[in-house]
Amino acid sequence: MNIDAKYHPTPEQLEGFAQGSLAPGMNVVISAHVELCSTCRKSISELEEAASEEWLRSAPATRASSINFSAMIDRIVDHPQMKGDDITRNNVPKIHMLDHSVTLPRALAKVASDGLVWNQLAGGINQAMVTLDDQTQCEFLYMKPGSQVPVHKHQGNEVTLVLDGSFEDELGHYKPADFVVRTAKDLHQPASEEGCLCFAVLDSPLTFTKGLARLLNPFIRYRFRRATSAAAY
Amino acid sequence: MDDVISGAGSILMGSLAKTNSVREPASAPRVSSEASDSDERLLIAVGNHQDRAAFNALFSRFSNKIYAMGMKLTRNEQLSHDLVQEAMLTVWQKAPLYDLDRGTAQSWIFTLTRNRCFDILRKMKRQPATVSADDIWPQEGDIDSQLVHEETGTMEVEVSKIESFYGQLPAAQRAVVEQIYIHDRTHEEAAAVLAIPLGTLKSRLRLGVGKLRQMVGTEV
Ligand SMILES: [Zn+2]
Repeated sequence: MNIDAKYHPTPEQLEGFAQGSLAPGMNVVISAHVELCSTCRKSISELEEAASEEWLRSAPATRASSINFSAMIDRIVDHPQMKGDDITRNNVPKIHMLDHSVTLPRALAKVASDGLVWNQLAGGINQAMVTLDDQTQCEFLYMKPGSQVPVHKHQGNEVTLVLDGSFEDELGHYKPADFVVRTAKDLHQPASEEGCLCFAVLDSPLTFTKGLARLLNPFIRYRFRRATSAAAY
Repeated sequence: MDDVISGAGSILMGSLAKTNSVREPASAPRVSSEASDSDERLLIAVGNHQDRAAFNALFSRFSNKIYAMGMKLTRNEQLSHDLVQEAMLTVWQKAPLYDLDRGTAQSWIFTLTRNRCFDILRKMKRQPATVSADDIWPQEGDIDSQLVHEETGTMEVEVSKIESFYGQLPAAQRAVVEQIYIHDRTHEEAAAVLAIPLGTLKSRLRLGVGKLRQMVGTEV
């Protein structure tokens, strides 16, 4: 699958993905974009080369003297090797929305395969939260045609990957595979004329800044705590 | 995958037998002959011949580095020890799938280690087991899978045209097609002859056969 995305992860996010230093939720959303974007796939393999150089250069040659490495090798080479035909590819779950279904990138298909519970929020937004780690809030969002999210800002970073349809805000119009990054400084009001399915990852709660929507703030914080504490049991 | 390859076989079989004078050196970009003990060469020996000595050499080059990555991320000797075991086991098991055309051996081993480390950390932090490293980072063969397309119907094309198409393939792909369809070798034998990993052989074969079918398809 290759789609020409206009918006991509930041260089830092791609680097963290290649190095394996990000939280699982952030890894999942970047993985889904990378699967759709050949430009970022190419960057990732270059970043992996660079990370491997750095790893070999900087890692100290320490080893635990207590480990019997030759016994370990003996155990390893007892295992059969894999052939190319051994690779089983994951089947590709779809999400069914109203009148059509959407095929998900592999990582998101895995996330959705446990089943999603959709909640209706104000403004024509449907949300299905998933718990992937204790540092991020992850959710599928379905914006009905003509829906609008209340003006809000974030305390941390918000990443939104468009999977189907499109949405727009003050800064642009976003289509499938677009990876939209908003930082704590950004105040924005997404809306979707044609309807939109996306996957969003937030590394801290939203705060609404206008009108009655502000009443939601304690609720949002509660929801975030609940989403992250579910991971910590 | 096999159906694609054998499908093309019926086109190619026999028609190319005359052209085996074309004997380009198998292009294996990152393995230079002077670096006879490069990581790539060791990995190919492990993947193609289960070469125990080559595996020992890889083990002594990488196990300390893997251990260090484990200590940095888990600060736990037992987990770091487990990481060495699991990462090197994956190197052994997946060596036949390593694809030269997609990166260096050290980068490949780095990504295997990173992935095993991700899974170990996830268990350590008791995070939900929803996604594993293999769901997140692309696996061997994932990219190739998109190149496979089904075609039905018989194609009639002049033998001389196939030969000219074959001549247009990049040398590395031509060498692989030659081994399989002209010399009639198995994948394993061809990988050994060309001294490339089985994974590289398969991906070059898929690419080469795909291109031939495309050229044949646009001519008829
Ligand atoms: Zn991209």
